[in-house]
Amino acid sequence: MRARLAKLRRRPKLLFLFTVAYLAWSLVPVLLAVRFSFNEGRSRSSAQGWSTRWYWGDPDLSVWHDPDLRSALFQSLRLAGFAIAIAVPLGVALALGITRWRGRVARPANLLALSTLVTPEIVMGSALLLVFVNLLTFMPLGTPAQLVGHVTFSLAFVLLVVRGRLVSIGREYEEAAMDLGASSLRTLRSVLLPLLSPAIVASAIVVFALSMDDFVVSAFLSAGSGTDTVPVRIYSNARGSPTPALNALASLTLFLTLGAVALAFGVWQAVRRRGGERGSAVGELARLEL
Amino acid sequence: MRHPRERRGLDRRDFLRASAATALGLAGSGSLLAACGDSGGSATPTSSTPATGPDTAPATTEAPATTEAPPTTGGGDAPFQLARPHSPVTLPLFDDNPPPESGLEPESGPLRVYNWVDYLWKRKLKEFGEEYGVEVELTTFYTMDEAITKLASGAVEFDVFFPTPDRISRLVAGKLLRPLNLGYIPNLANVWPQLQDPFYDVGSQYTVPYTVYTTGIGYRTDKLAAAPGTLANPYEIYWDEAYKGKTFLLDDSREAISMVLLKNGITDLNTEDPTAIEAAKEELIALSDLVNVKVSAEDYTKIPEGSAWIHQAWSGSMIAAPYYLPEGTDASVIGYWYPPEGGGAIGSDAMAVLRSSKSPVLAHQFLNFMLDEKHAYENFAGYVGYQPPLTSINPDRLVADEVVPPHLATAVVRPSDFDRGYQELELSPEGQILWQNAWAEFKAGV
Amino acid sequence: MSYPRWLWPALSAPALLWLGLFFCVPFYAVLAVAMGTVDPIFQTPKPTWNPLDWDTSAFSFVFDGLFTSGGPFQTVFLRTIVYVVVALALSLLIAYPVAYFAARRAGRFGTLLLVGLVAPFFISYLMRMLAWINLLQEDGWVNDALLWAHAIDRPVAWLDGRASSVILGLVYGYVPFLILPLYAFLDRIDERVLEAARDLGAGPFQTFRRVTLPLSAPALLAGSVIIALPMFGDYYTPDLLSGSPRTSLIGNEINLYLRGGQQIPVGAALVCVLTMLLLVLIVAYLVAAARAARRLR
Repeated sequence: MRARLAKLRRRPKLLFLFTVAYLAWSLVPVLLAVRFSFNEGRSRSSAQGWSTRWYWGDPDLSVWHDPDLRSALFQSLRLAGFAIAIAVPLGVALALGITRWRGRVARPANLLALSTLVTPEIVMGSALLLVFVNLLTFMPLGTPAQLVGHVTFSLAFVLLVVRGRLVSIGREYEEAAMDLGASSLRTLRSVLLPLLSPAIVASAIVVFALSMDDFVVSAFLSAGSGTDTVPVRIYSNARGSPTPALNALASLTLFLTLGAVALAFGVWQAVRRRGGERGSAVGELARLEL
Repeated sequence: MRHPRERRGLDRRDFLRASAATALGLAGSGSLLAACGDSGGSATPTSSTPATGPDTAPATTEAPATTEAPPTTGGGDAPFQLARPHSPVTLPLFDDNPPPESGLEPESGPLRVYNWVDYLWKRKLKEFGEEYGVEVELTTFYTMDEAITKLASGAVEFDVFFPTPDRISRLVAGKLLRPLNLGYIPNLANVWPQLQDPFYDVGSQYTVPYTVYTTGIGYRTDKLAAAPGTLANPYEIYWDEAYKGKTFLLDDSREAISMVLLKNGITDLNTEDPTAIEAAKEELIALSDLVNVKVSAEDYTKIPEGSAWIHQAWSGSMIAAPYYLPEGTDASVIGYWYPPEGGGAIGSDAMAVLRSSKSPVLAHQFLNFMLDEKHAYENFAGYVGYQPPLTSINPDRLVADEVVPPHLATAVVRPSDFDRGYQELELSPEGQILWQNAWAEFKAGV
Repeated sequence: MSYPRWLWPALSAPALLWLGLFFCVPFYAVLAVAMGTVDPIFQTPKPTWNPLDWDTSAFSFVFDGLFTSGGPFQTVFLRTIVYVVVALALSLLIAYPVAYFAARRAGRFGTLLLVGLVAPFFISYLMRMLAWINLLQEDGWVNDALLWAHAIDRPVAWLDGRASSVILGLVYGYVPFLILPLYAFLDRIDERVLEAARDLGAGPFQTFRRVTLPLSAPALLAGSVIIALPMFGDYYTPDLLSGSPRTSLIGNEINLYLRGGQQIPVGAALVCVLTMLLLVLIVAYLVAAARAARRLR
């Protein structure tokens, strides 16, 4: 008890207040935007009753009934799903290869992978736009091009997450497996991949978040209103005539993302437990060096 | 993504729903065909360009009224003429690109329509599909440049396209459009005579008109001390410091500069005189200093919401604007000024059949459908807000139908406006660069 | 028994091919467009793939605007640098204390706090901007709150083309991405180092100033680069929060030239110039990352 009191006393009041103020500044606007999405009236800047009108109640303007808003939601989810399906396997293989590969090419390859991380989105978006319109014309703008963009900027993150884990687990387990006579591919499949699974789940979460968040690449590579994602829709509508349906669209995205992420965190936590690890998965995500 | 050149991406889904409901019952085209008496060919305003700049070859500049030589693009590498009201262009026909033969049955579809975002009522597509028993697919674009890039790359194929007149010569020269067989489009007779035979496509060989609009001043009647119309030079209203922070220009490289030209009495909105453009740019930059002017393409909501008191505006947007008023605010707070006797900026849009179309006859039927009295009117009043140039549509009818409140009748385009108005048209490549760079410099906030 | 030698290159190959095709080639395409011409009819860009035929007129136009005093590109570049530097400084002032508290002083609130800090990572940037647009309306809650507190006497038009709104928007948008790497670093500082400092007689403040802060330098650098680079390419924040030409950034000019009109090569050249200017930051980051990776091995 006394120890705890001492600890409390050691916690600097000012720093604590500052942090709380930051959290409030960071999160309250978002909570209010979610609140306004449940408005009965048209206002997006003040509270006007409660309803689900802007989600599905309104026969024309609600997210469910407005084809543009609905298609944006599905386009975002579709892209995020495909991006995970492609970027995670590619990235895991890259992380394995690049970490273990001792050749002369490994280091430049590593730099190449990391340089996508520091390329501003507008540079990547415009480069992809120009290449798809002028050279790789077999790749139509719209979903395929957007997907390529999302996978390209996600790869480096998968690499970082998985490599961190790979380095921390060392080689002992694999060597033991091989000593026991497992073939190299079998070791890879039955020993290394299960050991990496927390990192794989974590990287899937990161790719999902990146893909859902992306605006510039999706906007540059969109083929028209039918392939606009949620952030693109928010950008176009926020300057025009948004109704709370736009808040509802953003909120729905938020709920879906948080739901998916919570689920993934659950899986991640379970995987970690089975591996005998302690502490929270959120903590581990925060400690990833992204 | 919204883009400067995007002028119609209005999210005005079901605008005027209430009034449209009352108005749509009447499809009668009736006696109104007689409303407009003047015959084809466009009597034209002559331009009063100041002296041609020293840097531009005379041929690339719009000729002063006295010069007979039609303008062409510079360098001679672009094989098309710059269409102007006083020098109409008969678009070339090519042997390898004939119009469809007469008397054919429409194809079985699907009909693939390529249009601006939110520029067509989807219900109309559905009705067309039902009438002809075909599937209709709509793909939308945000900017004309984007659309042309994709069409030119050959990566996309559609049947019907909605070009702006300032690009039609290019599209024809690049053989992207299919010549029309007007035998399939009898409803062209519903259109204002001067647009049945427009200067940019004499004889409507490749296009038929879709909408017309003017560019004027949208404003808040309840916030301004004096309406723009009461000023000796209404365009001066943008320079009034009393409205600092509440003044907006359209986010469009042609419109804002054209406004300054008109204010200065220059009516050639296609001038390629560097001094005139330079002067206009400097005035825009000064306007930034004076009233912190902002640019937006959301004239139809900024005024009803009250974030703009003065907003350079398109007529179609102002017809839509009352829908976006906060509850309890009367439509009378929205005002739209356009020179009452004509003589402001004006424009039109067109429809065309693409050469790559696999259903050219069906595409013709669609063009005809969209020029039908009933469908065109409903498409306008029920959704789009930009009016089709039909002789049956006039301010009195729209006010009577409660599509437009009486004080916004100024936003309805009349055929005479076209005779006296000034259009922003195709420029030579050098001219385009002049305009775009001036605009980019203003937008950089120098 | 060990892994076959070919395994690691083979595993790396698909992703490297992907990056070559969709990252390196596009960069070359930007250069080829910037050095290329336009189609005489459609005015669409015609990239010049052969370096011997390159046309540098788009670049000279950009350099003209960049090196003429008061030129348009110089103005936006300088403005962009000022905005990013100010926003970065504010972000550091906010992020460091928060990350420090979360990593070293949060105690039993640790996990809860972390959830709060990680959450913005999962809320799209545009949604967070939308949230602010809602609040910054003239009849919005920010004005209500300030009026109530008598900080202002009449509503302020925050979305009225103000540099301050745009800079604060940038800070709000990017600060979470600075907090996380700082947290990851501060959390790993070895407690024994700090104890040693204390044993040697350093007070808490001195320990922080002489030990913790210098130790954090690499993380501060990496975090700053990670948020400064996207800020340099931002064009949507000023679009959404201002709309005035007086707050437009280099991203806005790139967007203007690249997304329409007849001068797409100029847009591509602007992209090249921006990349060149940022190369210093990019290289700094890559060197730091390579060092860290070597340490890991």
